[in-house]
Amino acid sequence: MASIEITNARKSYGAVDVLHGIDLDIQDGEFIVLVGPSGCGKSTLLRMIAGLEEITSGDIAIGGNVVNDLDPKDRDIAMVFQSYALYPHMTVAQNMGYALTLRKTAREKVSAAIDNVAGILGLNALLQRRPKALSGGQRQRVAMGRAIVRQPQAFLFDEPLSNLDARLREQMRTEIRKLHRRLGATSVYVTHDQIEAMTMADRIVAMYDGIVQQVGTPLEIYDRPANIFVASFIGSPAMNFLSGTCQITAQGCALILDDGTSIPFLAPPNVSNGQKLTLGARPEHIDIVGNGSAPSVPATVDLIEPMGLSTLVHVTLAGKPVKIFTLARPDLAIDSTIEIAFNMDKTHIFDSETELRLPRANEPFAAETA
Amino acid sequence: MDGNKPVTNMTDVGKRPAARRGVFSRRLSGILEPYYYVSPAVVLIVAVMLMPLILGLSYAFRDIRILNPFSGGFVGLAHFQALAHDSAFLGALINTAWWTFGSLAFQFSLGLVLALLLNRQFLGRRLIQALVFLPWAVPTFLSGLNWAWMFNPVVGPLPHWLTSLGLMDTPFNILSDPDLAMWGPIIANIWFGIPFFAITLLAALQSIPGELYEAASIDGATTRQKFISITIPFLAPTIAITLMLRTIWIANFADLIVVMTKGGPADSTQIVASYIFTQAFRRLDFGYASAIAAVLLVLLLAYALGVIALRRAMTHADS
Repeated sequence: MASIEITNARKSYGAVDVLHGIDLDIQDGEFIVLVGPSGCGKSTLLRMIAGLEEITSGDIAIGGNVVNDLDPKDRDIAMVFQSYALYPHMTVAQNMGYALTLRKTAREKVSAAIDNVAGILGLNALLQRRPKALSGGQRQRVAMGRAIVRQPQAFLFDEPLSNLDARLREQMRTEIRKLHRRLGATSVYVTHDQIEAMTMADRIVAMYDGIVQQVGTPLEIYDRPANIFVASFIGSPAMNFLSGTCQITAQGCALILDDGTSIPFLAPPNVSNGQKLTLGARPEHIDIVGNGSAPSVPATVDLIEPMGLSTLVHVTLAGKPVKIFTLARPDLAIDSTIEIAFNMDKTHIFDSETELRLPRANEPFAAETA
Repeated sequence: MDGNKPVTNMTDVGKRPAARRGVFSRRLSGILEPYYYVSPAVVLIVAVMLMPLILGLSYAFRDIRILNPFSGGFVGLAHFQALAHDSAFLGALINTAWWTFGSLAFQFSLGLVLALLLNRQFLGRRLIQALVFLPWAVPTFLSGLNWAWMFNPVVGPLPHWLTSLGLMDTPFNILSDPDLAMWGPIIANIWFGIPFFAITLLAALQSIPGELYEAASIDGATTRQKFISITIPFLAPTIAITLMLRTIWIANFADLIVVMTKGGPADSTQIVASYIFTQAFRRLDFGYASAIAAVLLVLLLAYALGVIALRRAMTHADS
């Protein structure tokens, strides 16, 4: 196992810059998830670590050795592909043992390694089958087995669960996590699914547009997003955003929306009267309140989505859609007007210009930003 | 539903419904109905494929010589008995094997190399891909003439080049040397046949997912190992079917030989297909030519069945 250090790594295809200087230190044994929308450069970064893409500038070091000019096979890493990339003409056992066979490992050792890993993954009964005779979940398992058999310095996962159905994905998620705990292997996992990122990562690297937006533990990222992108990308249902102008009075600060609605908030330091701000509130941080309990604002009910455990209420506030998450089962009429209140301790204030979050004075600002 | 009509229940299966019993013509038309639908195709196949085949085969058992007005009678197996002792035919059989496998080996191996080269990224790849296809588009008659002239020291450059390279003592026409003549049409055929293999193999190569090669490079495979464990297994089905098809086509393909050497000198380039042509259109002995054609047909059928059986055995061992 080894650490991975990425220093100012850049990637360009001709005049097109895909990665604009990535800095990232991955600790030995850490499970890192690169998350971001399609085209943000996360897969490119993973392929650069694997050696499948050249590094335009900067350095990537695995276990302290700069690997920029090493072939993939000399980097001692294993990769699980989205399509699994199993060799269709080989049996499961041959697929898993291919790398060891190429290294001229003794046959008994190869089969012992295969048996061991097959035991871990529950593949013993499938060893003589070919990939086409396997289900999607089994193929996924074989792809993981092929990576594990080699005992590499690091595992790279390129959206390994996106070809599975929802239930299987959930199951494999926990399985990969348990496997990681058991093997303690340094892992870099690429996904566009923020739930995978939240549930699996030791640390999340949120990427957008070839730039690392934020690095942090899942809860750090969830509770203290660095900017509007991270705040909107992480969390489901997504955070609500309302933009307006800051108004400072003797009673405190309020955000004045386009239609004049006033939402009070706890002011971060250095906000000024008239500054353009965006308020971000997660659906679970907005409450439906009875009439009269201040400070609340009126909103119109659009839609109610009952999900059993919880209910998602869609309302319109000052012409903007807002989602409210509640564990109660409110009895609301569509098109009726209700009063909602923002949990001021939990709402975030972003500068509309820079899109950066403005942390409050009393809050420890622990999140790393790029 | 018509309430008065008895309905065939699941429990009545096997019994004839009362309402239909005895209505013979209706039942008959029910049985015949599917055949009406396929009849146009059947008529077409019989008229266009089976009739000529049967007619052609029947000539093999008759004495049909165009210049002899009294010919046309049934001669039984006489043509086949004559064939068994026809040294020209036996020579043609050996030449056919040379011609077929000599052409095929080079067409295939050079076509594969070309396909692998065309599968790489380079500037002007599309243009080159189009150009590579050209020999296939040239009429065989023209390319035969062209190659015949190229081998001719009076008008063609090849003998002079071979002399300059020290491969020939003096420039001469290999088409007039009984020991070397077969290589003339074979070289022309290789030139003509490479595009077929290059294009079909290129298509197969392009269907191989790139991630397999990436996975193999991470697993530590060299270029040669990737070729053996990924490329070859993926190409195998295409290779098997194209080799079989081309074997049959080349064995039947007399155009280049007829144009370039007419089977000569001294029958040294006579293959079975060109021997049929010679018997039919030079000696005008259609009966004998048909007998040779029948033998060739049986040989190629046996070959095709053998290849198919081999392929089936291999795919069965596979799964």
